[in-house]
Amino acid sequence: MKNFVGIVGTNSDSSTNRQLLQFIQKHFAGKANMEVCEIKDLPSFNKPKDREPPVEVQKLSDKIMEADGVIISTPEYNHSVPAVLKSTLEWLSYTTQPLIDKPVMITGASYGRLGSSRSQAHLRQMLDAPELKARIMPSSEFLLGYSLQAFDENGDLKNQSKIEELEGIFNDFIQFVDITNQLVSAKSVHKKQAQRFSWEDH
Amino acid sequence: MKIVGIVGSNADFSYNRLLLDFIAKKFNKLIDVEVLDIADVPMFNQSDDQTNSDVIQDLNKKILGADGVIIATPEYNHSIPSALQSVLEWLSFKIHPLDGKPVMIVGASYDVQGSSRSQLHLRQILDAPGVNAVVMPGNEFLLGEVHKAFDKEKNLKDKETTQFLESCIKKFIRFINVVNVMHSPDGMKDLSSTEDLYATGFIDTTIKDINMLDDDWVEQAANKTNAVDGNTYVKLNRGILTVDQINYFLDSMPAELTFADSNNQFLYYNYKYEAEDMLAARRPEQVGYPLAECHPDRAYSSVAWVIQQLRTGKEDVVRTHVPTHGPDKFVVHSYQAVRNGEGNYLGINEYVRDIKPIIDWYLEQTGQQLTGGGVDAVSGATSKVDSVSGATVKNN
Repeated sequence: MKNFVGIVGTNSDSSTNRQLLQFIQKHFAGKANMEVCEIKDLPSFNKPKDREPPVEVQKLSDKIMEADGVIISTPEYNHSVPAVLKSTLEWLSYTTQPLIDKPVMITGASYGRLGSSRSQAHLRQMLDAPELKARIMPSSEFLLGYSLQAFDENGDLKNQSKIEELEGIFNDFIQFVDITNQLVSAKSVHKKQAQRFSWEDH
Repeated sequence: MKIVGIVGSNADFSYNRLLLDFIAKKFNKLIDVEVLDIADVPMFNQSDDQTNSDVIQDLNKKILGADGVIIATPEYNHSIPSALQSVLEWLSFKIHPLDGKPVMIVGASYDVQGSSRSQLHLRQILDAPGVNAVVMPGNEFLLGEVHKAFDKEKNLKDKETTQFLESCIKKFIRFINVVNVMHSPDGMKDLSSTEDLYATGFIDTTIKDINMLDDDWVEQAANKTNAVDGNTYVKLNRGILTVDQINYFLDSMPAELTFADSNNQFLYYNYKYEAEDMLAARRPEQVGYPLAECHPDRAYSSVAWVIQQLRTGKEDVVRTHVPTHGPDKFVVHSYQAVRNGEGNYLGINEYVRDIKPIIDWYLEQTGQQLTGGGVDAVSGATSKVDSVSGATVKNN
């Protein structure tokens, strides 16, 4: 059985993205173990001189490192990814770089109809940066619009076709993890590029 | 022209700050740039609203008071830094100082890209409805390999780069003017010529042969007309007061009062506070000025428009909210037509008030509360849950 890490892409006390990850965790418990991780207690990114991560970042990084894959669920703020999620990715790229060649699946929820479409597009571009270099599952956009109305009192998605859509993507992700692990040619290059990267003194 | 420059990084040393400092120094004859740092802005969290913190209010006030904003962004992970993202989230949550504000984007990076991808993200972010800035198209200024770009005096070494930057800045100045026209009440038309803002004509009451721009215009004019003052009685409709009493009476009005006659000459204000303590600054030596001398050039069209509304009788009063005093005040400028018994236009009574205490008092007295309307979700939905900042709710 695969082990996944789910990252809640917001620091808000109540979040439908958190609900979505909790639903995934429960619904697919027979297929994968997933730990839902929070980023709200991570400090704001500020380039540390020694490139050492704070304890909280190290903990998250270790979990990612050990996991077979990562599922990030992002809200949309101003057509983009929330600052707090950006900050998390900055920590990871600047210090421990656990996402290099890590299979990643993206989901997102929003109150309105669009379901975080623009922020997911930004997140894909970010995860593709040489200092992150995650392996993002292609053609697998899961947009949950009207998210405040999407869950019942048990935290389950109400809409059956939405559940089926998610099942399809999740099953593909499990396979995607295996396929990705067979892609080894570029790995050493990615590692080298990531270690060489520099945002020094921007 | 007043410009705010925002350093898009919270790093201790930033080449983007260097770039903004260079712009401020190099083009100081064209624009007046104040460079602002964002290192002290806390991480945005809608469950912990810090909109009213000093650091965010300071940014808010300075942006509101500026003609335009230049943002210099690095590139982290193909995007803008979280520190800048967080600032923009604060500035689109409960307050929206960038709404309609002309913005220019520049960026510097260590690699050859020069922040190309992050500038594109920033454009999309600034275009979100909660931010709603007016970003200058084209004129993309990318400064790659920035660690080689500056000399010891912190000037850009490359002449052509500097020339290109200058052309971008000059276009931005024009762009600001275009945006102002866009926001002006009558759209593209420049209405400044519809009014004689330099008061070149005269009316029956004009005091002639005194230079309107003299600092002691009031004294000279009083001398010339043998104007009464002090304890002399003046008969009014309906009553009789001494000049002193009239003065004290007008000073006690809960508003800043200004009178300009139908010849567009500034004749009076209830001088009680110095300019820096007023809601709309006036200086004693300005009395006597034509209205053109009391406003910046870019405001001429709007000033003329307001006067035309009153002079032609289209309106008796034109009101405008001037949001430069922070969230604890709601300053309204009212331009009230002054007319005689026949309804002929005699001039403007501009009265400036902070109406927030009146609203607060009304609510307190009646036990009522202000509630957000259902249309604009900005304040409603966002205070509770995450998934979207209010900004995007509107559009989704």
